[in-house]
Amino acid sequence: MMRRTISILLILVPLISGASGENLLLEEANKHYTDQEFDRAAEKYEQILASGKESAEVYFNLGNAYFKTGDHVQAILNYERAKLLDPRNEDIDFNLKVANQFVVDNPERLPRPFFSRWWGNLANSSSTDGWAKVSIAAFLFFLVLLGSYFFSRSIRLKKLAFYVALPLALLTLLSFSLAWHQHSMIKNRNAALIRCPRVTVKSAPSATGTDLFLIHEGLKVQITDSLDSWKEVQLSDGNKGWMKDSCLVKI
Amino acid sequence: MLKKVILYIGVLLVGFQSQAQDIRLVMSAPNAVAAGDQFRLTFNINERGENLTLPDLGNFDVLMGPSFSSSTSFQIINGKTTQSRDFSYTYILRAREAGTFTIRPGSIEVDGKVYQSNSLTIQVVTGQSQAAPAQQQGQQQGQQQGQQQERGSETTPSGSISRNDLFIRLELSRHQAYKGQQIIATVKLYANPNMPLAGFEEVNLPTYEGFYTQDIDIPQQINFKREVFNDRIYQVGVLKKTVLFPQQTGSITIKPFSITTLVQQRVRQRSFFDDFFTGIQTVRAKLTSDAVSVSVRDLPPAPAGFSGGVGDFRISSEISQQEVTTNDAVTLKLTISGTGNIRLIQAPKLALPGDFEQYDPSSADNVRASDGGVSGSKSIEYLFQPRYAGDFKIPSVQFAWFNPASGKYEQQSTPEYDLKVTKGEGDQGTGVVRSLRKQDIQTIGQDIRFISQKQVPLKEKGSSFFGSTLFWAIYLLGTAAFAVFFVVYRKKMEENSNIALVRNKKANRVARKHLKVASDHLKKQQGEAFYDALLKAFWGYLSDKLSIPLADLRRETAVEGLEARKVDPGLISDFLAVVDQCEYARFAPSGGAQVMHELYEKAEDVISKMEKQIKR
Repeated sequence: MMRRTISILLILVPLISGASGENLLLEEANKHYTDQEFDRAAEKYEQILASGKESAEVYFNLGNAYFKTGDHVQAILNYERAKLLDPRNEDIDFNLKVANQFVVDNPERLPRPFFSRWWGNLANSSSTDGWAKVSIAAFLFFLVLLGSYFFSRSIRLKKLAFYVALPLALLTLLSFSLAWHQHSMIKNRNAALIRCPRVTVKSAPSATGTDLFLIHEGLKVQITDSLDSWKEVQLSDGNKGWMKDSCLVKI
Repeated sequence: MLKKVILYIGVLLVGFQSQAQDIRLVMSAPNAVAAGDQFRLTFNINERGENLTLPDLGNFDVLMGPSFSSSTSFQIINGKTTQSRDFSYTYILRAREAGTFTIRPGSIEVDGKVYQSNSLTIQVVTGQSQAAPAQQQGQQQGQQQGQQQERGSETTPSGSISRNDLFIRLELSRHQAYKGQQIIATVKLYANPNMPLAGFEEVNLPTYEGFYTQDIDIPQQINFKREVFNDRIYQVGVLKKTVLFPQQTGSITIKPFSITTLVQQRVRQRSFFDDFFTGIQTVRAKLTSDAVSVSVRDLPPAPAGFSGGVGDFRISSEISQQEVTTNDAVTLKLTISGTGNIRLIQAPKLALPGDFEQYDPSSADNVRASDGGVSGSKSIEYLFQPRYAGDFKIPSVQFAWFNPASGKYEQQSTPEYDLKVTKGEGDQGTGVVRSLRKQDIQTIGQDIRFISQKQVPLKEKGSSFFGSTLFWAIYLLGTAAFAVFFVVYRKKMEENSNIALVRNKKANRVARKHLKVASDHLKKQQGEAFYDALLKAFWGYLSDKLSIPLADLRRETAVEGLEARKVDPGLISDFLAVVDQCEYARFAPSGGAQVMHELYEKAEDVISKMEKQIKR
């Protein structure tokens, strides 16, 4: 018994100290940022990310540090990454808006159908894990109610259990699919940013393709197809074209 | 006219009133003469003097003199009489050779005191034979301009005028300047001293395009002065003086301008009597100047606080008060003084604390243009009202200007002022008054929000609770647990209901068994044991039938259970009667075998009836 406890402790200690090492790094980075040493702060944040750890806060702070050093593309990139992890954070939205003012292109957004908009807004009102937790909680509660429906002797209790269990089942399904939606957004990472100062988008995946339009750094596009080193991108105004992936950086 | 007459009469009536005056000896002579020409050197004094001593005249020969004259004049202005006397001594001199010479002061004795005159500088140019202008004119015929005709001697009737005799010229104090550096431009008319000018027509003065200009006041009457230009003596009149401030860089050309002058010329009739009757004719001559160009250099990169001043300036400041109550107006006055483009200086920025009510600064210029350029001062008043109480600092104002003399920017700043603002009385009003002062938050600048300082636990990249093993495990375990619970509970319920059924079925038999025991006791006349057995038979039966554990079974619960199974109330009361009798007899045994027997039969009857009714 004693030996086991010790061995568990031995396993836990490096885990804890490793975690605090990165937290220490985060603290240092924040301090650099507060002291206006944005270059060094960005370096430290990148170190945290390079160690395989992440959080919306780290991406957000890194975006801030890049913004302060004048690298608006990197700033937007990191804000977008932070937004994926924490879609509800209002600070991220605000800073992303400020940083986007430095983007030259401003394509008109295609109007999306209302249900798509509602679905997106609903999905963005929480993160993947938030929805997953809601789903699980609703499911467990549903099971409890189901049990009491089956085994209760009282007719009234049975009725109540039935009518509450039904919407809970729906909530379980809904939150599950929202979590799925958010998760696939993170997993697929179809959105990308233009990182070259200016890129000509071609009609076909070859250098001889007709030039369709010109876009500038910092613009967010959706990758819809790919062929070798070429990617088909779609702008928010619906225009599509091919460009080399060397000028793209995935969010 | 009448006034004048009265004045004269006044002069006669009042008589002389001598006033003690400063005695001044003034020497005057033309400032430019030709060698060999005669000219006058005059000493004027306002008191009678003696022993006028001439200075050493060196290069000048005294041909004649001194000739003496005197004059006296009286003047009455507003009843005040002034008398002025003038005594003049005139010498006729001749210059021997060309050059610039200084005549040192002369002196005179008045009442035993010696007074010194001023000194004079005379420029002597090589003699021009005034008698032979014809030759010169002839030689320069080619250069003659416009409609000028050949002028032989003075015999030509219509006057033709040489460009060398009459011309206009724009004189600039400098031809290379920094942008904004002042240049004094003088429009001068040059005329041969022998050429009588009658007047001007069509005066088109230069338009100084590309310059900010300011005129210098000069007397209305044109004063002609002698001046040497290209080794010739001219009467020079200044028509206009202007200070120019170049507003653009590069080479700026001032376009030629023109003036039409009226010149009087003697005309001789070609007749026998010509020599005696000479007429005077007025001739128009259009004079055109040359274009003049100025090359303007741009200023070097400006430091902070530069507000357009080029020249030499000083700045001072003054604050109206330093202890105020809220909403009092405070004035900060800046005074910029010096020479240069004062009018073009913009008000420097005053960076007040944010929530001060600041009004546009008002500025007033007080400038004077003179031969030295434009000088004066500009006062700028910043009016502001502190809105909130507290101790504030009115920051210093940086004022930088470009000094063209050194070619560098110079800088001066005003002191910083402390401003103590106390809360005004009118400020402690009610909430209503307060709401009047509500205002939108002023957006001063936009920036991103500060970093998040939260120490959140970092997670592995790409990991998420959704889709993780734990996530699915909770789902699966939840479902499995439910299923297990469902099955187990169901089975147990079934079992429970089976036990009850068995017991229900067995109840009658068990009861009969107990009754049989009771009947045995009855036969043996064992009273207490009989009653016990009878009660056991009843309670055991009800416990099995109603599925109520023996421990929970009491009269009340038994009655409830029976009523729930719709047992006849009469039967219930019979049952209660039997139970009561048994309980009573147990503690107080009474009656004989007959009573016990009846009770036994009644009990048997109740149980069999119950068996029928509960079964339903």
